[in-house]
Amino acid sequence: MKYSLLTRLACSCVCLAAALPALPVLAAVIPPGVQLHPTQTLIRNNGSEPESLDPAIAESVGANNLDRDLFEGLTATDATGKTVPGVAESWKRTGPVTWVFKLRQNAKWSNGEPVTAQDFVYGIRRFVDPKTASTYAATFGVFFANGQDIALGKEPIADIGVKALDKFTLEITTAFPVSFLPSLMSNTQLGPVNQRAVEKFGKEWTKPGNLVGNGAFVLKEWQVNSKIVLEKSPNYWDAKNVPLTRVTYLPIEDGNADVKLYESGENEFVYQLPPGTYEKYKAQFPKEIRNGPMLGLRYYSYQTQNPAFKDVRVRKALSMVIDRDILAQRITADGQAPAYSVMVKGIEGADVTSYDWATWPMAQRVAEAKKLLEQAGVKPGTKFTFSYNTSEYHKKMAIFAASEWKTKLGLNVELEAMEFKVLLKKRHDGTFEMARNGWVADYNDATTFLALVRCDSDQNNNFNCNRKAEDLINQGTQQMDEGKRRALLTQATKMIMEDYPIIPLLQYSLPRLIKSYVGGYSTENPMDHYRSKDFYIVKH
Amino acid sequence: MWSYTLRRLLATIPTLLAVITVSYFLLHAAPGGPFDAERKVSEAVLANLQAKYHLDLPPWQQYLYYLNNLVHGDLGASFRYADWSVNDLVAAALPVSLSIGGTSLVLSFFIGVGLGIAAALKQNSIADYLVMLVSNLGSVFPSFVIGPVLVLVFALWFHWLPAGGWDNFSPRFMILPVALLTFINVATIARVMRGSLIEVLHSNFIRTARAKGLPTRVVVLRHALKPALLPVVSIIGPLAIGSITAALVTETVFSLPGLGKLIVNGAGNRDYTLVLGLVVLITVLAVTLNLMVDLAYAALDPKIRY
Repeated sequence: MKYSLLTRLACSCVCLAAALPALPVLAAVIPPGVQLHPTQTLIRNNGSEPESLDPAIAESVGANNLDRDLFEGLTATDATGKTVPGVAESWKRTGPVTWVFKLRQNAKWSNGEPVTAQDFVYGIRRFVDPKTASTYAATFGVFFANGQDIALGKEPIADIGVKALDKFTLEITTAFPVSFLPSLMSNTQLGPVNQRAVEKFGKEWTKPGNLVGNGAFVLKEWQVNSKIVLEKSPNYWDAKNVPLTRVTYLPIEDGNADVKLYESGENEFVYQLPPGTYEKYKAQFPKEIRNGPMLGLRYYSYQTQNPAFKDVRVRKALSMVIDRDILAQRITADGQAPAYSVMVKGIEGADVTSYDWATWPMAQRVAEAKKLLEQAGVKPGTKFTFSYNTSEYHKKMAIFAASEWKTKLGLNVELEAMEFKVLLKKRHDGTFEMARNGWVADYNDATTFLALVRCDSDQNNNFNCNRKAEDLINQGTQQMDEGKRRALLTQATKMIMEDYPIIPLLQYSLPRLIKSYVGGYSTENPMDHYRSKDFYIVKH
Repeated sequence: MWSYTLRRLLATIPTLLAVITVSYFLLHAAPGGPFDAERKVSEAVLANLQAKYHLDLPPWQQYLYYLNNLVHGDLGASFRYADWSVNDLVAAALPVSLSIGGTSLVLSFFIGVGLGIAAALKQNSIADYLVMLVSNLGSVFPSFVIGPVLVLVFALWFHWLPAGGWDNFSPRFMILPVALLTFINVATIARVMRGSLIEVLHSNFIRTARAKGLPTRVVVLRHALKPALLPVVSIIGPLAIGSITAALVTETVFSLPGLGKLIVNGAGNRDYTLVLGLVVLITVLAVTLNLMVDLAYAALDPKIRY
């Protein structure tokens, strides 16, 4: 790939800004005057049993939470969601698509061996290797030179754009300019893996006693569907700044059981409050309730190729009349914010767009929507089907939406509840008219949300394709200039949203209960990427 | 009796094969697969995943592959829990379910039979009404109501017991789930026992025994108990299966790592091997328990001989 002189000049400026020295404070930030409890242990619910502790296979939030404690990438995310040095103590962008990471020489595996650049090469090659069959291989692999083709099995894994320049220097070549690479590299899927442990134990390498990690904690005990116990790693390079000595992860899926354990003192960190209970627990535990916005979107997908929703005027009309404020405040009532775009607040790389009508009074919106339906030839009494996966929460939202369409536009909606896997299949195959949907960012950049609406994207369930917007996205992702990139991606977003492929509804939030003596938690972590090394227990 | 037992055990093989075959094809016919997720995987990755789990083979070959592994005692790799084999998962969950279900069943049997006898002997007395009240409450209130009430009272109000969880067969963690299952099972057993004993007590042979001047204790224990237990024994089989493998509500309320949750999650995740492994286990348990019930019949009723 060739870049103009101007691009190179722009790069040199960005490169200087991107060259980052080691930050002085990396671990738990304990405010002055805070007295620590003599026992530094934490029991936190993780929401589900992890599908794997292998960072290449880990997919769920729960598995990644554990891997962030057991492994450390080149960078990491602190409690406030900022990217901080991990194994890399500094990094530099040396060209439009090349980055050099300097690894700290005191980073060690839990068995005491040094963590080297070669461990990262092995980890990333293994991750994108089709034989590993990681579901994230294509999602993250696409950013690395040849990564996409390797994940698809078209090129050998040795061609990935990751190279060890020496024992402690790693060079990464990206497939196109990726300004957020340091933040991306905090994902443990892109971290180091101990080749000797994998080869020695094979499939059993993630079991207690076998797992060799480089994180702040080591795996002590794993009772499937019961608990996973981690203990502080004495070999971790920043061990002196890790207050907790033991973390117990619980795999409780049922929100009510989670809260009951919390109330009885056997759990100190509720994964997520059960639907409809936020206000109740907010009143009951005002000092323990935590609720922060997440980079996640609740939305409904149109099947834009279906005759019912082929006409953009129909799609626009249906989107206009849903009162997101009532939905957020009265129906879900758990601190979520109304959404009018595929982008959500807090996302990097693009502005959050909105519709003109979002600020109109509802009566005006309804009048306009009726006009649009009339122009499209849709008469009151017209029927369509809305599919959702069985859940009280989704049902409540669906009933609200159906009543909005019925009372304001006279449309009849047949609500069709089904098992989650059945809904997924319908959405992937496009055999639906309108369906419930949701997405949580994989990384903090606009492209993670654009994947939902781009042409030819695996995640595009609405089957809409705006080629002009696609060109803008392609131009944007090739940009070195952050401002121009942002402008192009924002413009593309606006253009796509005018096609009304989806009905954006709410931005996710994460209502939790956390004991008041657990320090280090921040509600400003929109990716929900917490490391237990940042937590501490206040004297109580 | 030994040859009967052997014949019954041999008959398990075709039963098992039929159950596996039907379950196998039903599971694969269900819409959605193990790799359908919110994040749709690309065709290439899907192909890799399918190859990893042999789903790229024709269905009949997959089926034979599964049967071959099964014959060698291998229940396969779990689709959902990538780090564990189905054998590992079953080995971890079965002892939990057996200990909770088994303990509650033994307790329910003795308490239920005792209460049933007391109620039958004191028919239409306060004791009878109390037993029937307990029995009706146990039948009327579902476990997802009784369970949280137990947690509320014993864990949240009095702090005597943990609200849930599991810690290596520690009795503290077993008391509430065992109590819940026992209460529900006692309700059924006591009611059946009461009805059955009342009926037996009105039989001619009991009247004869009484006429001979035998004391009530002897009449009940020596003559009436055995025939009265027959209906109770016949419901023990289904109760045991329910308590051991289908205790989903109990496991959810008390966050227990048992079989019930594995089954439901396995089906929801289209974890074919896990569900099939559990189907095999439940079938074997059901056949064994039914056989034990039949053998118990012979011990209780001299008219039945195999």
